[in-house]
Amino acid sequence: MNGTTSTGEDNATPLIECRDLTREFRRGEQVIRPLDGLDLELAAGSFVALMGPSGSGKSTLLNLIAGIDRPTRGTLRIGGRDLGRLSGRDLADWRSRQIGYIFQLYNLVPVLTAYENVELPLLLHGLSRGERHRRVSEALARVGLVDRHRHFPRQLSGGQEQRVAIARAIVTDPAILLADEPTGDLDHDSAAAVMDLLTSLHRELGKTLVVVTHDPAVAERAQRTLHLEKGRLVAAAEITR
Amino acid sequence: MTRRVSVTGLLALVLRRLSRRPLRTGLTLGGIALAMFLYTMVDAMRAGVREATEAGPDDRTLVVYRENRWCPFTSRLPQWYLDRIEGIDGVVSATPMAIRVSNCRASLDVVTFRGVPVESFLANPPTGFTLLAGETTAFRGRGDAALVGEPLAARRGLRVGDRFEAAGISVVVAGIFASDEPQDRNAAYVPLAFLQESATRGSTGGEVTQFNVVVDSSDRLEAVAAEIDRLFEHEVHPTSTRPERAFVARAARDIVALVGFASLLGWAALGAVFGLVANAMVLAMQDRVRDHAVMRTLGFTGGVLTLLAAAEGLLLGLVGGALGASAAWMVLTVGRFSLTVEGANLELASDPAIALTGIGIAIAVGVVAGLVPGLQSARGEIVANLRTT
Repeated sequence: MNGTTSTGEDNATPLIECRDLTREFRRGEQVIRPLDGLDLELAAGSFVALMGPSGSGKSTLLNLIAGIDRPTRGTLRIGGRDLGRLSGRDLADWRSRQIGYIFQLYNLVPVLTAYENVELPLLLHGLSRGERHRRVSEALARVGLVDRHRHFPRQLSGGQEQRVAIARAIVTDPAILLADEPTGDLDHDSAAAVMDLLTSLHRELGKTLVVVTHDPAVAERAQRTLHLEKGRLVAAAEITR
Repeated sequence: MTRRVSVTGLLALVLRRLSRRPLRTGLTLGGIALAMFLYTMVDAMRAGVREATEAGPDDRTLVVYRENRWCPFTSRLPQWYLDRIEGIDGVVSATPMAIRVSNCRASLDVVTFRGVPVESFLANPPTGFTLLAGETTAFRGRGDAALVGEPLAARRGLRVGDRFEAAGISVVVAGIFASDEPQDRNAAYVPLAFLQESATRGSTGGEVTQFNVVVDSSDRLEAVAAEIDRLFEHEVHPTSTRPERAFVARAARDIVALVGFASLLGWAALGAVFGLVANAMVLAMQDRVRDHAVMRTLGFTGGVLTLLAAAEGLLLGLVGGALGASAAWMVLTVGRFSLTVEGANLELASDPAIALTGIGIAIAVGVVAGLVPGLQSARGEIVANLRTT
């Protein structure tokens, strides 16, 4: 199955639109193609799970949507903007406003406190200190970590670190949240708490949420599950909630 | 698209990165401070050599010395040469001077006595001569009175009325003076007759070590020097006459050569600063490859990250440079060091400009050392750098 796949609300204009999206890497003479001519449309406000075996192209697709990687061929339009045509500087600016990225290993800056980690992306928005404080406090409150704002990452549990990372991802109020195996390094309870939080962000704030996962329990929460293999879409399952 | 970054927020980020790695930051600052201390001390020596030996357009003083003699102990000239020197066309004044030093070799604490005719000395004092304490009447009034240069007085802790002894000569401080000339600042002026009588190495009255001759124009220095030497070439004590700074350069040539060698150490210290900061920055950037990839994912550009790295280098250079250069300046100011050899003085300059130059160099080195690894760290592929452990 490699035709155009639409997910989410059927009548909505797609927020994310991929056409013949291809990503190639060269290793000596060998050409590796983790993403191979993908066509895809994702509606605004949808919650999509990307599944598939290792090397199937899930993370590559997520990185392209995040604007931290560029396609070798094809187009990727998000909110009507062709990411391939943006300069590096404009792409960085676009990322800072449109994307909230959540990593499997949290990737908090170790020398900064929870508060300072969440404040980090706001330094690029020209906000006053007071406004930054308001937004960081709000984000930490939403993830339930107001009382941990002075803690450094090493002083937090894995689940708490991931919640700080989620606060960092939502503090700029981006349209799209991308999560690369957000529960992959967590125990069962922490994983459930993190997914509860992401689901509530999708439902209450209307964020478009794309989650890469190997965990069927995580995928079950999504409205739509896309299966990739060898860089192509092989199946799509829609769950109406 | 344009964006406004929070400069104060980014500056706070730089400070947090430095302050929350206190061991690394402290060691780097310590290394920079030590290197800049060394550089500033060496530069102070070089500045002292320049001031004492490089001729300026206003130099009008000649030193008449005994030919083929290198030390004040062995240069003996008849005092009656004075009349004949004063008769040469172009000579404004001539001062016979007996010199006794506590140590003829190179030393950091040599006392140089300069015996001069009191009235002619006070009538034609050295350039920039200002009496800071005491009175000239006391200098005129007693045979063992001395006018002491301010750096020498500070080094020896001397005040007006104190008695001090060096080179077997005991004098009373009648006054303390400042002067523009390093040769004067580090000397004690005493009455000529007193010094001649106090000489313990066989000198007799009527002999002096040298004549300091002021000519009417710097253009005539060479001509008058040649005329003086020609005048006495067939006497028992022929002379060798040079401009004062050339005389100092010849007398202190070994020290000048050593200082030239030491300046290599200064440049090596500068290289050490660069190496230290660069090494610290490279290590810091290697540690932060993934952090920077995360920050770029958040929207930071490579340019902003490079500027942050350069700002870190700048701060390390500024603080380390300020610590080292300020420490060197304080040591020089308190110590008032003067290298003396064969009666010629080379001061270690305590000019704040030298410390400021050192700080400026440390800052520049810090910025450059931060820029290069900063650029490297900011240019890699984000996805590849995110996988870095």
